[in-house]
Amino acid sequence: MPINRLFVANRGEIALRIVRAAQALNIETVVAVSDADRDSAAARVADRSIVLGPAAAAKSYLDPRLIVHAARESGCDGLHPGYGFLSERAILPRLCAQHGIAFVGPEPDVIDALGDKLRARAMAGAAGVPLVPGSECVASAADARREGDRIGYPVLLKASAGGGGRGMVIAHNGDEAEAGFHKASAEAVAAFGDGTLFMERFVPEARHVEVQLMGDGRGNVLHFGERDCSVQRRYQKLIEEAPCAAMPDHLRRQLHESAVALAASVHYRNAGTAEFLFDVQRQEFYFIEVNARIQVEHPVSEAITGFDLVQEQIRIAGGAGLSVSQQDVEISGHAIECRINAEDAARDFLPSPGRITRWEPPQGQGIRLDSHMSAGAMIPPFYDSMVGKLIVHGRDRADAIARLADAIDNFVVEGVPTTLPLHRAIIAHPDFIENRIHTRWLEQTLLPGYGKKAA
Amino acid sequence: MTAGKNPAIAAIDDARALLDTLLTHGWQQLHVVSGDTEIFLARDGGCANPMRVAALPDAVVIPTPQAGPETLVSAPHVATLEQALAAGTQVTVGQTVATVRVLDEQEDIAAPVSGTIVRVDAAPGALLEYGAPLLSIAGLA
Repeated sequence: MPINRLFVANRGEIALRIVRAAQALNIETVVAVSDADRDSAAARVADRSIVLGPAAAAKSYLDPRLIVHAARESGCDGLHPGYGFLSERAILPRLCAQHGIAFVGPEPDVIDALGDKLRARAMAGAAGVPLVPGSECVASAADARREGDRIGYPVLLKASAGGGGRGMVIAHNGDEAEAGFHKASAEAVAAFGDGTLFMERFVPEARHVEVQLMGDGRGNVLHFGERDCSVQRRYQKLIEEAPCAAMPDHLRRQLHESAVALAASVHYRNAGTAEFLFDVQRQEFYFIEVNARIQVEHPVSEAITGFDLVQEQIRIAGGAGLSVSQQDVEISGHAIECRINAEDAARDFLPSPGRITRWEPPQGQGIRLDSHMSAGAMIPPFYDSMVGKLIVHGRDRADAIARLADAIDNFVVEGVPTTLPLHRAIIAHPDFIENRIHTRWLEQTLLPGYGKKAA
Repeated sequence: MTAGKNPAIAAIDDARALLDTLLTHGWQQLHVVSGDTEIFLARDGGCANPMRVAALPDAVVIPTPQAGPETLVSAPHVATLEQALAAGTQVTVGQTVATVRVLDEQEDIAAPVSGTIVRVDAAPGALLEYGAPLLSIAGLA
């Protein structure tokens, strides 16, 4: 049954993005807010907002009972979790199902299975998706050394319940594998309450590529091309592009087929992203994980395909099938997105919440801004510091870079420091222009000099 | 927090954000000067208010009210009101004055002070947002 009233269980730019997508489909919206977000852009644009709790996320955006109660009592028949917060916690769709609310996302059992990296790896292997050489779970430091010797160094010790780089340690030899086991295990216990670890080959110069997927829950899965998110700092993406210009066509086809096969094997429903490591030297790609939600960087895929992925998500959650078939999805041009954070890159990315005093974004053809900010808007100190995403679409990669440079030069923000100057420096760097970057390029090559120059 | 908004409300929002920051970061005090506005916040045991030194000669003594102060009991989070004691009821601190519900779980709201319920602000069945007024208790004079 189509959704009539959608509850938005998130904040910031994605809450506003979801409200606008629902409005385009003539669906009413109710936005959940914390006390600190009472006057947010999403709350103003939605039909209604409901204050869940105080500013602390644990007592507002991270409490599934409060969210589902507010959704049910405000007459919502659909709920969109956005990204982050509870978006990949199976408890949210389970509670939704118990209370007659359609969850805009995958089945809870699929979220659980994909959220466990070891299970996800096994599922990928069963679907014929290439895996980075690695281990099952390692139970001891001695195990870690033995598995490291077998896989070949350098290796990565990773938390099974992990994400965002926490509980992750690199080891270059057997001694480091033993020491790394203790460190990664302790970090994993602290961060996730689960110290289970596994190991895999570490590719020193890898690109991060990922495939945007959309499934109908009945085994039909489409892809919307791939993205390249290799500009990262501490495993956090700063710039994302679509398509991956560094990947040859025959590998790209295999990449898409692998991602679709994996999602189809679990009858994946709604939007998801299969993430891969692309070893440029070996010309191989390996499965990393599936993110069972809409991602921050989805707009670059929308730019090159012309589809609104959030609207498609809402339609599918309302029981509709996929609105297009694979041959309707054509890739056109090149898109780049930069995540603009209220952080001071020259001071070790110190988060700098506060009030925006001037906000004059660039406008023009091929420029899109997804943001909840405006002059006078407040960035609360309690959440992540992203103030928006600037997305450009050009004929090809060089054209997109030129447009992005112009767009950043014409973007006026005052009141808080932002990462816009850093983005400008990244896209002016010869390595970026010639597309010779990898996931550690930013930290190894650009940032050391950037910090010194800025100071 | 919007452009063109009442500056007094914007200032209160800012003060609230600062107070939340102080509490969540475990700081002892916070002193912010911005334009012609100055705010100082401190915990018990934090340093003395630097603004107070200048203000003391002109300080006005606020008289203590004769009647007991009214204490507002508000919703601790979004919840549906099940029931509340009626206005006029005498209550003691810790006594359940209202019951709210989140999904199928009930939660008792305790009186923060002893006194008399002087006003009930919500009806049973109402969806209360965080901070919404539930009832007021006049403390013992």
